[in-house]
Amino acid sequence: MIVRMSKVEIAGPKAMRSDLLALLQESGMFHLEPEVRGFISKADEAFIRSMLPDEKELSERLFLENLLAKINELLSYLPQIEVRTSYIEPLAVIDLIAKSVRRHSEACRGLYERRELLRKEFDEFNRYSQFLSTIEGLFKEVERTPDLEFIGLTIKEPAKIDALRRLLASLTGGRFELTTSTSSDGTIVALITTEKSFNERIKKALSDERIPELSFPPSFSSLAFPEKIKYLIVRVSVISQEISEINSELEKFTCRWVPIYMQVIQWVNGRLSLLKASASVFESGSCFFIYGWMPSDAFKKAGEIVEKRFGGKVVVQEKAIREEDLERVPVVIKNPPYFEPFELFVKLLPLPRYSSMDPTPFIGIFFPVFFGMILGDAGYAIILFALSLFMMKRYSKAKNVKNAFQILFVSSFYAFFFGVLYGEFFGDLGHSFFGLEPICIERRTAVIPMLSFALTVGVVHVILGLFLGFITTLKRRMKKEALYRFLNLIIVICILLLVAALFDIFPALLTRPVIITILVLTPLLLFTGGLLAPLELLKSIGNIISYARIMAIGLTSVLLAFVANRLAGMTGNIVIGITVAVLLHTLNIILGVFSPAIHSIRLHYVEFFTKFIEPGGRRFEPIKK
Amino acid sequence: MEKVLIAFAAALAIGVTALATAWAQSRIGSAGAGALAEKPELSGTVIVLLAIPETMVILGFVVAAMILFGVK
Repeated sequence: MIVRMSKVEIAGPKAMRSDLLALLQESGMFHLEPEVRGFISKADEAFIRSMLPDEKELSERLFLENLLAKINELLSYLPQIEVRTSYIEPLAVIDLIAKSVRRHSEACRGLYERRELLRKEFDEFNRYSQFLSTIEGLFKEVERTPDLEFIGLTIKEPAKIDALRRLLASLTGGRFELTTSTSSDGTIVALITTEKSFNERIKKALSDERIPELSFPPSFSSLAFPEKIKYLIVRVSVISQEISEINSELEKFTCRWVPIYMQVIQWVNGRLSLLKASASVFESGSCFFIYGWMPSDAFKKAGEIVEKRFGGKVVVQEKAIREEDLERVPVVIKNPPYFEPFELFVKLLPLPRYSSMDPTPFIGIFFPVFFGMILGDAGYAIILFALSLFMMKRYSKAKNVKNAFQILFVSSFYAFFFGVLYGEFFGDLGHSFFGLEPICIERRTAVIPMLSFALTVGVVHVILGLFLGFITTLKRRMKKEALYRFLNLIIVICILLLVAALFDIFPALLTRPVIITILVLTPLLLFTGGLLAPLELLKSIGNIISYARIMAIGLTSVLLAFVANRLAGMTGNIVIGITVAVLLHTLNIILGVFSPAIHSIRLHYVEFFTKFIEPGGRRFEPIKK
Repeated sequence: MEKVLIAFAAALAIGVTALATAWAQSRIGSAGAGALAEKPELSGTVIVLLAIPETMVILGFVVAAMILFGVK
């Protein structure tokens, strides 16, 4: 439900302004209004002005913003690890922190930049590491003497090895050795061992044949091939060691200092929000004025606290909310524990206006019903019930996940209820094993009765939406709009009666008065709703037909369950049969969670809420620490 | 022959609307994914937009059911 708000004016001597703002910040229930429009008369606006911050406040704000930027810079160099909570009083250490943050930042930046350089070097060297083990193996196979030259190669196509062997034979007259091996990524690594005098000739030929030589970083150029490999291995290990040392140093620093810095950040943010709030305070010659909004429940208590703290020198007054204020009233949504998890769905939509309605209770009532109607299987419901219970316990701290499984928990009850009504327990397994019979309808065969049922639910839901839309406009005293919505509602009902008469559900004798009613009301509808009003009528009818999805999605679910049982039976083997049935039922359960949920949400968002929710509400943003 | 025509009509009713829905959803889906990358807070609106064309195939299904099961 949308919490009732109070429009509040607070006035007192200027000297008490900071203390009062701190009190309001502590309460976390006051939404500050930076404009006086609507709070005082036009004539009085001339007597007050925005309170400008003094030099002390300005310098404090600059100091804190600067400190915050420095701490954030320091934190950007540190690893994101879980740290202890600090209970240090930030105000007592703020000067010390302001002095040390620069030093810490420089030290950490140095370590961070050094680590980045090392990582870059490591990545560069690492590219060769996959060849190293291969090349090393090849070295063991050849005899090393000072007059020999080693050339490393990478060969992509195995067919090229023979061509290379022929080429080397012609260049060296057979005075070479070619050994090959396959590296971990599948590339063929080759090592040519030959006399030093053939070196240049071979390299040129390799370049002409486009056979890439193993290239090493420029810093290796002075080293011979075997030394290059040795150096690479040593260097990679030194870099890894150095990186892990820097990491451990940064982690040690994080564990020691980040809890304190986090505590300071929290305090600085609170203080800054208070200083920023000061800009929304107004002053006259000797008094300050604060305007804003707070929940009506909290207003009385706040008045008593202010009275007690300031000894009657500060006055808290509630002002009447006028019609023109309605668009500016901040919106707070609060619901009983049962409906609270369903706020998850409402959060995905823009906030409703203060004068509109909170859709949470409606989605809390209808969503599980629609979900149950679509899934409608007692066996699946028991599994979902157990799953939601387990997940709620497991994710008790992750609020959104817990809420989602709470919704599933409630919905599984309805799925069980409708499952019993439809006589479904893992499809027709309940019927085969326990003789379970449908109490009211068998979905698999009764397509048309189920369609009628789904459409009837749609009629009730859409008409409720239209009625709520009428009530909303009536509450806002928008007479013409209210009349239009009322006429729309009546004509939709009349059209539905005519359709019902077509199917012999409604007495045909009464169709004439219904048609006359439609004809009489249509000009009025055009007058109140404009030329597009008939289009809205058609939209409402289309919305009702859209509820056929309840039956359509349900039918696919029940047929898939039926197929799972049939296929399992057709295998003729108990083990394979059970495996097939379990797999298909698992698939159906997964689909049975997502499909009904998405379609039920859609029915609410598109078909129901559009009838009465006015989006564009202003979020309640109290001054907080 | 009549049965064949009835079945064909029902298949057309659901087939064409399913294709239309798939086409519309593919366009909305790709645009929605792009929008979500920039503004994740639009997820509710994107779900709604994505679900709107489904009405076509639902209507097609209703018509097909009426053709097959002979509702007057």
